[in-house]
Amino acid sequence: MAVQSPPVASVEQVQDYRNNSLLFLTFRRLFRQRNAQVGMLILGFLVLVAIFAPALAPYDPDQSLIGVESIDKRAGPCIHLLGCPADQPEHYMGVDGNVRDQYSRIIYGTRVSLFIGFSTIGLAVIFGTIIGAVSGYAGGWVDNIIMRIMDVILAFPSFLLAIAIITVLGRGLQNALYAIAIVNVPVFARLVRSSVMSLKELDFVTASRSLGASPLRILFIRILPNAIPTLIVQATLSIGGAILEAAALSFLGLGAQPPLAEWGTMLGTERNQVFTSPHLVFFPGIAIMVTVLAFNLLGDGFRDAMDPRLAQLAKS
Amino acid sequence: MKRQKLFSALALLVVASLLLVACGSPAAPAQDTSAPADDTGAETGPAGDFAGDILDAGSCDYGGKVLSIEAVDRLTVQFNLCKPDPAFLAKIAFTPFGIQPKEWIASTGGTGELLERPIGTGPYMVSEWVRGDQVVFTRFDGYWGEAGSAQTAVLRWATEGAARLQELQAGTANFVTNISPDDYATVESDPNLVLIPQDNPNVFYIGFTNTFAPWDDVRVRQAVAMGIDRQRIVDNFYPPGSEVPHSFTPCGIPNGCEGEDWYEFDPEAARALLAEAGFPDGFDTSIYYRDVFRAYLPEPPLVAVEIQAQLRENLGINAQVVPMESGEFIELATTGALDGIHLLGWGADYPHITNFLDFHFGAGNPQLGNAHPEIYEVLQQASSIGDLAEAAPLYAQANNAIKELVPMVPVAHGSVAHAASASLGGAYYPPFGSNEFYRMDSGADTLVYVQNAEPISLYCADETDGESLRPCQQVVETLLDYATDSGDTVPELATACTPNDDSTVWVCTLRDGVKFHDGSDFDANDVVASFAAGLDASNPNHVGNTGSFDYFAYLWDALINAE
Repeated sequence: MAVQSPPVASVEQVQDYRNNSLLFLTFRRLFRQRNAQVGMLILGFLVLVAIFAPALAPYDPDQSLIGVESIDKRAGPCIHLLGCPADQPEHYMGVDGNVRDQYSRIIYGTRVSLFIGFSTIGLAVIFGTIIGAVSGYAGGWVDNIIMRIMDVILAFPSFLLAIAIITVLGRGLQNALYAIAIVNVPVFARLVRSSVMSLKELDFVTASRSLGASPLRILFIRILPNAIPTLIVQATLSIGGAILEAAALSFLGLGAQPPLAEWGTMLGTERNQVFTSPHLVFFPGIAIMVTVLAFNLLGDGFRDAMDPRLAQLAKS
Repeated sequence: MKRQKLFSALALLVVASLLLVACGSPAAPAQDTSAPADDTGAETGPAGDFAGDILDAGSCDYGGKVLSIEAVDRLTVQFNLCKPDPAFLAKIAFTPFGIQPKEWIASTGGTGELLERPIGTGPYMVSEWVRGDQVVFTRFDGYWGEAGSAQTAVLRWATEGAARLQELQAGTANFVTNISPDDYATVESDPNLVLIPQDNPNVFYIGFTNTFAPWDDVRVRQAVAMGIDRQRIVDNFYPPGSEVPHSFTPCGIPNGCEGEDWYEFDPEAARALLAEAGFPDGFDTSIYYRDVFRAYLPEPPLVAVEIQAQLRENLGINAQVVPMESGEFIELATTGALDGIHLLGWGADYPHITNFLDFHFGAGNPQLGNAHPEIYEVLQQASSIGDLAEAAPLYAQANNAIKELVPMVPVAHGSVAHAASASLGGAYYPPFGSNEFYRMDSGADTLVYVQNAEPISLYCADETDGESLRPCQQVVETLLDYATDSGDTVPELATACTPNDDSTVWVCTLRDGVKFHDGSDFDANDVVASFAAGLDASNPNHVGNTGSFDYFAYLWDALINAE
């Protein structure tokens, strides 16, 4: 009797399957999005600036140049190529009130801002995902209690809530990061919960359950990976907001503390000089704007790339 | 029927009281024959046709300087002191000791409407205070002196220096206070504006509370004194005209600079001292400050960061900069509750060295921790000597002790400037107190003045901030005033105040024919009532805004009947 072997997928079939996976399709569409391209370009540039800050910055960002160079505090930009006299020290973005090189501080500030963005939203994603997954999968009273708590947090304006949390924890960058992470947790918890609730009723989950998979395995191996694309979109959009919130907190003196080169702190410290030394508020402001814009463009690109209706529209 | 009887009894009582007053002996000691306290809290004593009031401490055991204040007759007030006070005249010229009508104080109970609508004898009266916006003043046509040129004066506020300057540049204000150091050049180069420097003695210092480690070790404090380059701070963060202090008190104040000069900048000696104290690699601490413009500290965040950098570079001390809310900072700093170093300063209230030294280094001030007897005992001795030359050796001794014990590090005597539109006639700013609206002519019906912040209340007996004292000064007058160009006192509501031989009794003769804004006549009882409300803690009108009456407690050493 001839034994019939089960059908085996060919290499081409596997390749074709991979090429049509949601993640692959999403990224392929993402790279075709003009907005996303610009966002990725700016973000890539910012990441490179952050990595190579010591090589790019001509001065230590915390070093006061009093007694080192003959330069007045809050001196404007001096670029020799643009006609600044050669006998004057070159400072591309001028110096601040403590006679520190503004350009070096902006460059080092990139590190701080990217760290703030990724760490706060990273924390919010981790905790939001766990909370949302448990809530959505368990359902019933567990879901009810968890979601009401999330509703309470969402009911507060996020910035005010962050200020309230800092008031309790104390000012400082670390506490500002916790505060921003906490106010972002409900957003991700709700997102993951809704994904889990819709996915747990699908056939492949039922199949896993009937094969005896444990609830944890079903949740983390079967369900959650399918929620990742939507999480990525939300996270990317949220990073810009988190950077903006951290800058605002630092502007108010609640976040990063001197002498750390953080753009919001730099803006806040020199806010009175908007008319007399506009470069001291212009450059940090532009840096914040460009970074937030990069994340927003990328987030929009992700969202468009994952939206099947928009994809259909693009095809037609 | 019962009511008729009651009225008859009351009428009889009133007539009997009047007869008693009329027949009373004027020679009898006022405090012995005084009638029960009336609703102003001051005792009323017989003094001929005029029933003079008395504020009587009973004895000097309570620790204050004032034994009694007595309305001798309608136009004579006598201050009996427990000990001589060489700064007496300068003190009574200070705005918190302004005079309001006795009846008005009593009718408000020392609070409520009194906080919003002071009634004085000044050239302007408050017509409206729109909270969060402005205070509007109207010229008082019954003013005894030279009348103001503007019918209306408007006081506004803006916390940001740039915003104040913009108001002036836009022509929406005639005078703005406290120009940012970086804006001096802008004002000077603008033909439509005038920069008005103020020669106000002040000091900015780094304070330590010696009840916290490591500030309890004098070597650590001395190390900071030697390790901070004060010249660098003054050169880079203060406007022209600012100075590095010789001593805590500015040299413009008589006896201020007696004794040795302060430590020279010597980071190596400072590090050696720190190592000797057991901190060869420095330590961690905090720098507390409030982000509020003051003449002694025009750019607090920058100076805090500069001190942070100098501590790190020169001494290896790792300090965290902690900006605080102004009220919280003052409360914690002045009660000695800050464990790190705090950045604070002092602007002269009146031109006498006691205003600087006695407050900060006196026995009862917890701000800098445990007071040093080597300093305060000498100060107590010096403060009762009226002759400046005689007191000079004692102040030299006190200044030397301050240098040796370093309860703080004096960093700068700041200069400050204000600005006015070039068309504002008579624009000026005196060394002490505020400029007065009536002396300036905007050339229009309205004068607009912009200051740093909104007043807290307009009952200045219980306020200490300059932003409250300024509007008070336009409305409520004191017995004496400061000259417009020096710290000398000039007559205001009193035409003269003369001392006895040992300066323990001062008799002030009051100006006749002066009327308050409510139309009532000014007399000696108003002086007693105004002082009683602030100085006597048991007075029914001793309520105010906070009830602390800081300047009464501090300048007269203690409140009468305080618990």
